[in-house]
Amino acid sequence: MIDFRPFAYLIPILPILGFLLCLLFGKYSWRRGGMFANLTIFGSLIISLGILYNVYFQGMSFYEKSWNWFYPGIVFGIVVDPLSIVMVCMVSFVGLLIHIFAIGYMGEDPDKFLYFGETALFTGAMLGLVLSNNFIQLFLFWELVGLCSYLLIGFWWYKPEAAAAAKKAWMFCVVGDSLFLLGIVIVYNYMFSAPGITEPITFSQIFSSLETGVIPPPMLTLVSLLTLAGVCGKSAQFPLHGWIPDAMEGPTTVSALIHAATMVTAGIYLVARTFPIFMAAPNALWVVAIVGGFTALLTATMGLVVNDLKRVLAYSTISQLGYMLCMLGVGAAIGAYAVGYSIFHLISHAFFKALLFLGAGCILHGLWNIRSIKEMGGLRDKMRITSITMLIGALTLAGFPLTSGFYSKDKIIESAYEYGEIASKTGGLVHYLPWIFLIFGVFLTATYTFRMYFLAFTGKPKTYLAEHAHEPKPISSMIMPLIILAACSLIFGILTQTKFYDFLSTTFTTTTAYMSALNFEHLAKMGGNPYGLEHVETPLYIELLPTVFVFLGIGIAGYIYFNNRVDVGKYIKKGNPIYKIVWNKYHLDYVYRNLVAEKFIITLVILWDVFDLYVIDGVVNGISWLTVKSGTVIRRVQTGVVQNYATVILLGIVLLLTVIWYFGV
Amino acid sequence: MPLEYYLLLSAILFSIGAYGVISKRNAIRMLMSIEIMLNSANINLVAFSSYNTPFSLTGQVFVTFTISVAAAEAAVGLAIFIGIYRAYKDIDLEKIATLKW
Repeated sequence: MIDFRPFAYLIPILPILGFLLCLLFGKYSWRRGGMFANLTIFGSLIISLGILYNVYFQGMSFYEKSWNWFYPGIVFGIVVDPLSIVMVCMVSFVGLLIHIFAIGYMGEDPDKFLYFGETALFTGAMLGLVLSNNFIQLFLFWELVGLCSYLLIGFWWYKPEAAAAAKKAWMFCVVGDSLFLLGIVIVYNYMFSAPGITEPITFSQIFSSLETGVIPPPMLTLVSLLTLAGVCGKSAQFPLHGWIPDAMEGPTTVSALIHAATMVTAGIYLVARTFPIFMAAPNALWVVAIVGGFTALLTATMGLVVNDLKRVLAYSTISQLGYMLCMLGVGAAIGAYAVGYSIFHLISHAFFKALLFLGAGCILHGLWNIRSIKEMGGLRDKMRITSITMLIGALTLAGFPLTSGFYSKDKIIESAYEYGEIASKTGGLVHYLPWIFLIFGVFLTATYTFRMYFLAFTGKPKTYLAEHAHEPKPISSMIMPLIILAACSLIFGILTQTKFYDFLSTTFTTTTAYMSALNFEHLAKMGGNPYGLEHVETPLYIELLPTVFVFLGIGIAGYIYFNNRVDVGKYIKKGNPIYKIVWNKYHLDYVYRNLVAEKFIITLVILWDVFDLYVIDGVVNGISWLTVKSGTVIRRVQTGVVQNYATVILLGIVLLLTVIWYFGV
Repeated sequence: MPLEYYLLLSAILFSIGAYGVISKRNAIRMLMSIEIMLNSANINLVAFSSYNTPFSLTGQVFVTFTISVAAAEAAVGLAIFIGIYRAYKDIDLEKIATLKW
C-alpha cells in the first residue's frame, strides 16, 4: 500500500491549482467550467482517504513536516494527525459532492467558471487551514477562506442585497480576525524568547511548552479569549452571528459549502486544535461553553419565526455550531475525548446540513427561486426524492433516534450534564447552565426544523409555482449527491461512533517525533478545570431527556403545522411584543448598524478626519509657511550693491583679528 | 627712524583706502582708493626689506612686480567701468544693483 503521508502537501495545493486553471481556461472547458475544480478536489479526496487508510487502518504514525519561510522559525508546515485527517476527508468528500451538485445548479449562470474557480480556491484554503501546523499559516488560510466567502456571497454582485450581505460578512469576520491576530502576537511574544524553542508558533512546540509555563496563565486566558473572538467571527457565535442569515443571498451551493459544512467549522476546528491551550488556561473553557450554549439557544429561538427556507437552515447552522463549541467548553470535565465528541458532531452536521442545503437548492431550482416557505406547500408529491432526503436530513438535525445526529447530539448533552455534575460541586449550580441551554435548544431545534419541513412539504400548494414544481431526474448531478449524503447521515453515526472517539482522542495523547504526549490531567490542574476529578454516571432519565424533547418538538410542530392545521396567526398577532423582539433578531442588527456604525464609528471617523485636516496638515503647511516667511526677511541681505559686500568682508576681517588678538591663535 | 613708523604709515594708508572703497559712490574714486591700498602694501614690503635684510633686495624686486600688476588691474577696471557706463549711463555704484533680491 502506498504511503500517502508525504503527499499531504498536495491536498491543499491541488484545488488551488484548480482555481487557477478554472480562472484561466474555465470558459473554454466542458460546459463552460467546473471540471477542473471537481477533478482537483477528487484528487484531494483520494489522497485524504489514502492517508486515513494509512494512519487508521495500517497504524502508521502521525506526520509533520515544516519548511522554513521568510524568517528562521516561521515555518510553512503540514501536520497529519487524526484531527486533521478526519477534517480533510470530510471537507474534500462533502466539497466534492457539493461541487457535483453545483454543476447542475449553476447551469446557465454566465460566470460559472468564476464560481467554480472561487469554490476551488475556497476548498483549497480550507484544506490548507486544516493541515496547518502553526498559527501564522492557519491565520493565512483563515483569511483566505474569509475572502472566498466574501467573493462567493456576493457572487451575484448586481443584486444590492447580495453585495451588502458580502460586506457585512466580511466586516463581522474581520473584527474576529483582528482579535485573533492579537492573540497570535501575544503567543509569539512569549514563545520567541523561551529556551529550546526553534519554531515559536508551531502548535506542537506551543503544547510542549505549556507545562513549563513559558506563557503565564493570565496570558493564556487572554490568548484563549482572543482566539474565541476569532472563532465568534468566523463561526458566527454570539455576538458576531448576524452575518450568516444575510449571507443566504449567495447561491445555495455556496451556502452549503461555506456556511454549513466547511468554513464555519474552521472556528470549531481552531478551538479543537488549540484545545490544550484552552485546557491550561484558567476559566477559558467556561467562557467557551457559555458562549456556545447561549448562541445555540438564542439562534434556535430566532429560527422559529423566519419564513425564508434558507434562513431557517442558517439559524440552525449557528445553533449547531453552538453545540460543537459548547462541547469543547464542557471538555473541561471530559478531557481529550471532548475533541472527539465535538468533531463527531461537526462531521455529522456537515453531512446533514449540506444535505438540507442541497435539498433547499433543489427546491429553489424547481420553484424558480421562491424562498418563503409560506409560499410553498405540498411539495411531497411533486418532488419525491427531495422530500424523502430532506426528511432524513431534518430527522438527523433534530436528533431522531438512530440517525447520526442522535448519537452526536446525545453525547454532547450527556457531556454537558457530566460537566454540570462535576463542576457544580466546586463552582456552584451555575455550571449546569450549558446543559440547560443545550436541552432547550434540542426542543427548539426539533420544533423549527419540522415547522419548516411541514410548511414546505405537506399541505396544499399555496402558489401557482408550488403547484407546478419540477424535480431533476434521479440520475443527475443534482439528485445523486442528495442520496449519497442522506445515506451518510444515516449510517455514519451507527458505524463509527466509538471508534471515532478513540481515534480522535489520540490526537494529543500520542508521543510523536514532534511532540510528546500531553498529560491532560496536568493541563487541567493548571487551568483549574475539573477533569479527572471523579467519574460520574448520568442517570437514565437524563440520557433519555433529549429524545423525549425531540419527540415533543416534532409532535408540537406536527400538531400546529402538519397540513397547516392550526393558523398560528390567530393566537399570536403581529404586534405581540415577544414575537416582535424575536422577529427583529433581538434588535442586534439595529444595534450594530444604527448605533455602533452610524453613530459611534462615524463620530470617530469624523474626529480623525478633523485631526488629519487641521493638525497633521497644519503642521506640514506651517513648516512651509515658516520657511517662506523667514526667507522673505533674510533675503534682504542681498542688496546687489557691491560695496555693501565689501563692507561686510572688512567687518569680518576686523572681527577675526580682534578675536585672534584677545584669545590667542 | 624705527621701522614701526613706516608700518604705521602703511596701516594708515590702508585704512584710508579701505574707507574709500566702501564709501565712495563714484566708481573712479573707488578705483583710486584701491590704488591707495595697493601702494600701502608696497610701502610695507619695501620697509621690511630695507630694515630687516639690508643687502638682499627681495622686497624691492617684489614691489616692481606689484606696481605693474596694479597698473594692469587699474586698466582692466577702467575698461569694465566704460562698459558699465555704456549699459547704465551712470557709474554711481549704489544704482548698479541688478543682483538685488
